[in-house]
Amino acid sequence: MTASAKVMSFRQDLRERNIKVMLAAMVIAVATVATITMFADHLQRTLLTSASAFLAADRQLNSRSSEPVPEAWFTTAQAGGLEVSKMIEFGTMVSSESRFQLVAVKAVDGAYPLRGEIEWQADIDSQRELKANGPDPGEVWLNPRLMHLLELRPGDALDVGATTLMISGLILREPDGGFRLSDLAPRVMMHIDDVAATQVIQPGSRVNHRGLFAGDEADLASFEAWLAPQLNNAYRWVDVRQNETLGESLDKAESFLLLGGSLAVLLAVVAIAVASRQYALGQRDRVALLKTLGLTGKRIRFLYLSRLMLWGIITTLAGLLLAIPAAWMLALMMAKLMDQSLVFTLSFSSLWPVLVTVLVALFAFAYPPISRLRNTSAMRVLRSLPSDDKATLATDLLLAVIVVFALLWVYVNDLRLVVSLLGAMAVLFAILALAGAGLIALLRRFSTGHGSWRLAVIALYRHRHATLSQLSVFAMTVMLAGTLVLVRSSLLADWQAQLPEDAPNHFLLNIAPESVEQIEAFFSDNQLSSSPLYPIVRGRLTEINAQPAQEVALNKEDDELRRELNLTIAASYPADNQIISGQWFAPGETSGLSIEQSLAESLGVNIGDTLGFTIGSEKITATISSIRSVQWDSMQPNFFIIFPPQGAISGLPSTSLTSFYLPEAKKNILNDFVWQFPTISVLEMDHVIERIQQIIRQVTQAVEAILLMILLAAVAVMVAVVSATMGERQREGALLRTLGGQQQLLVKATIFEFALLGLLAGILGVLAAEIAVWALQYRLFAGDFRWHWPVVIALPLFSALLLALLGRWQLIPVLKVSPMLLLRRLE
Amino acid sequence: MSIDRQADSVKDFMIQAEKVSYSVNLDGNTLPILHNVSLAIGAGESAAIVGRSGSGKTTLLGLLAGLDVPTAGDIMLDGQMINTLSEDERASLRAQRVGFVFQSFQLLPTLTAIENIMLPMELSGIVDAKHRAEALLERVGLAQRMKHTPRQLSGGEQQRVAIARAFAVAPKILFADEPTGNLDTHTGEAITELLMNLNQEQGTTLVMVTHDQQLADRCQRLFVIEAGLLHEDAAVSKTVTAV
Repeated sequence: MTASAKVMSFRQDLRERNIKVMLAAMVIAVATVATITMFADHLQRTLLTSASAFLAADRQLNSRSSEPVPEAWFTTAQAGGLEVSKMIEFGTMVSSESRFQLVAVKAVDGAYPLRGEIEWQADIDSQRELKANGPDPGEVWLNPRLMHLLELRPGDALDVGATTLMISGLILREPDGGFRLSDLAPRVMMHIDDVAATQVIQPGSRVNHRGLFAGDEADLASFEAWLAPQLNNAYRWVDVRQNETLGESLDKAESFLLLGGSLAVLLAVVAIAVASRQYALGQRDRVALLKTLGLTGKRIRFLYLSRLMLWGIITTLAGLLLAIPAAWMLALMMAKLMDQSLVFTLSFSSLWPVLVTVLVALFAFAYPPISRLRNTSAMRVLRSLPSDDKATLATDLLLAVIVVFALLWVYVNDLRLVVSLLGAMAVLFAILALAGAGLIALLRRFSTGHGSWRLAVIALYRHRHATLSQLSVFAMTVMLAGTLVLVRSSLLADWQAQLPEDAPNHFLLNIAPESVEQIEAFFSDNQLSSSPLYPIVRGRLTEINAQPAQEVALNKEDDELRRELNLTIAASYPADNQIISGQWFAPGETSGLSIEQSLAESLGVNIGDTLGFTIGSEKITATISSIRSVQWDSMQPNFFIIFPPQGAISGLPSTSLTSFYLPEAKKNILNDFVWQFPTISVLEMDHVIERIQQIIRQVTQAVEAILLMILLAAVAVMVAVVSATMGERQREGALLRTLGGQQQLLVKATIFEFALLGLLAGILGVLAAEIAVWALQYRLFAGDFRWHWPVVIALPLFSALLLALLGRWQLIPVLKVSPMLLLRRLE
Repeated sequence: MSIDRQADSVKDFMIQAEKVSYSVNLDGNTLPILHNVSLAIGAGESAAIVGRSGSGKTTLLGLLAGLDVPTAGDIMLDGQMINTLSEDERASLRAQRVGFVFQSFQLLPTLTAIENIMLPMELSGIVDAKHRAEALLERVGLAQRMKHTPRQLSGGEQQRVAIARAFAVAPKILFADEPTGNLDTHTGEAITELLMNLNQEQGTTLVMVTHDQQLADRCQRLFVIEAGLLHEDAAVSKTVTAV
């Protein structure tokens, strides 16, 4: 190797402390960002697969008319690499030898379900089993309640229209059970090939045809793009995310992951910027010498640029080599926790943002100070020159803010989030600029008293510029980590509150007025707690301000105009609802109604508008007196329309609805209940709730893992910053020892100095974090502002402790070797 | 003095400064360092610049070597007006014609002795850098220390390596900034000897800044700088033979 090649060889780089710190910071940065991106991608897919089970597919196409989904669409989907399945739902009468019953039939093909499994029992007293497919042709599965109502057993025959099918089992749960409370009739599942033979479906019959699709996101997206122009109002394309219950949880989780990812990016660029600046400062003498020896500025820039590119490539590769097993481990841990088999596919498409981020960060943050090296005056070889750091710092900072803004915007695609974060950072820097000078002046006043304390304060004051810049970096690191800790806490608390362990998981519908007392007795006998009983009157929304609703509604295709709504009566609104406008019914109020926000928006109605309903043969009208927001994912009984007691629907024939929590261990009570109250519909939501809780647990685990990694990255940034000035501090330590300073004094002074720095940075950072969270809270995670005292107190203490430890750590060589040796080594 | 000499023949001077001034901006105030300095040094001559600390002698050396440009005035180096050249052009000129020896040696700590000597030769595209570096190391008496890094060498040894490096590209001009300033008297003498001998062998023009009277006495000409003003000590300076 030639001497000039060796001056800038990678092996040589590895011997220099500043470069080691910079490379380590870059590897940590790449590894963190890449792990988060890969794991988030894996998590996304896992969650979507979990969530897809709710549709029994990745996407559903629902026909709103009674026309089947065109065969050509299935063919195109299959050609595009998708799995497909067809399903028909209809209501009909079935009969045993002696009894008749109205049922809801679901006829499925051999592919159903594309996602999830069917829970099935061979007989009422057999083990529950999971089935990958529905019944074979000629067979039928019945809901246990229906079995009881018809007094049938497996092996018996069931007449469905013009055909007879053999009962081959009991259907306990289907993956696409749905959440609508309107599915009151008991379920029958049969094969789609047998439908024709029933002769039930005639022209004009009310039939619901569905197409189920599953496959890669990319294939789904291209099919969706092909299909979209052909979909008229007769079809509805359903994505997992359109499922209100799950959509919100998934969106929040995704927001958090993106926030975590963008904070990791910010930490990464801080680390890179700090390390690069230190590196460039350390390189000035070498550049001056090379210039003196005749190297031109152009060649110097080329030398350093090629170094930077080499480091970029090497650290990216090294970071990925660490990130891939790390993401795999996280995925494995999650799979074990969730008792699932691990399917971890490395998606390279998820890595490109990492590469872009790293390269942009490298060239926007690492390059500017390094590129300025070419301007180093050759005169430096003769005497030290003052640096023009202040002027360039402003340009660097401006560039940094613009690039961070662009990067985060591209990455998060959420202007509000980016503005909140950068706004908090701007506030932080403004506070630092204002408070910095005062703080340092204040420090000087406190520089009296005990020896080590005085030494610590003097050291902070003496290096006031370095103190301020370190304070800024530490405070920003604390702010980023703090933001994440705060958001995570409120996110988890939000979820916990939303779906506590004992959330109601069974609904009872169709409770006749005369059964109410018996039901209440049943609950108390079995020590079950239930929500209030809501009277239900089923009615169709037919008029808006005395005009036909289907003609004047803003969204004429709204599903709620096509079906019967569950209208209820309540003196007070459910706890998780909020009045958005208007007033809730005053005590004794008998007029008016309360409408749910999204329905009001879809209909284009407001306070004071009149709605007309057709209930059986009756027509009633009422004026909108309040609009409510409803938490659809609360798993509590929720209603679009509520009337006051003694209001427009009072006195109309009604049934009641309630919900209650039934632990898994008491599940057999349900069998007795079904026998005791054959007319009451039981909607078993426990599997849905369990699944949502499982998803929340998964997301919680991911959130914790990502938080841990970001905290590690934050610690890495602090280590990088402390190491950057280590040489100078060690030299000072050695000098102090040479001048007779006691080891004990030195240790105490250093610990005090760093602890004070950490405490100040912690306080400023955590305040900025509160500001950032306050700005984020409303829209992103929909919560209210409050002080988070435990974090506000703990984080500055933690930061003080961490920095004190780092300070103590960098002092080790000063205490271990003789001052003379150390001074010579540091020369 | 120099004006008369300049009249003889411009071409004969290896270094020529004409009314050179230099000032720096410090917190908004202009601080003059050199004022109207003129000098001319012939090819093959050795010149010492002496003066108190802070008198501006190192700045003058830097300006003469083209490490910076004067605020006013002209500097000619080997027939080229260097204050009108760009920084890169000055760097190329240095690579081909100028060598340096510094008080603090300025060896790259990561390179071995031989690699430090090879570096400027490689930068100027000299092919057999290794052999020439070996010969130079032998010449300065460090043939056995070739593979040692600066940290493994004493101050005197480091300065020998630096001198070998300075002569590696066979420069026409050698600038030395306090070459014995960091060395004890005995080592300083040995280094002086080596520097003067090599200078003579290679016919290099030597300009050095020094506090070392013994070293200054070995030079043919002596310039004294006081508060930014330069004058030649004619009593010391000897008659110069133009090359």
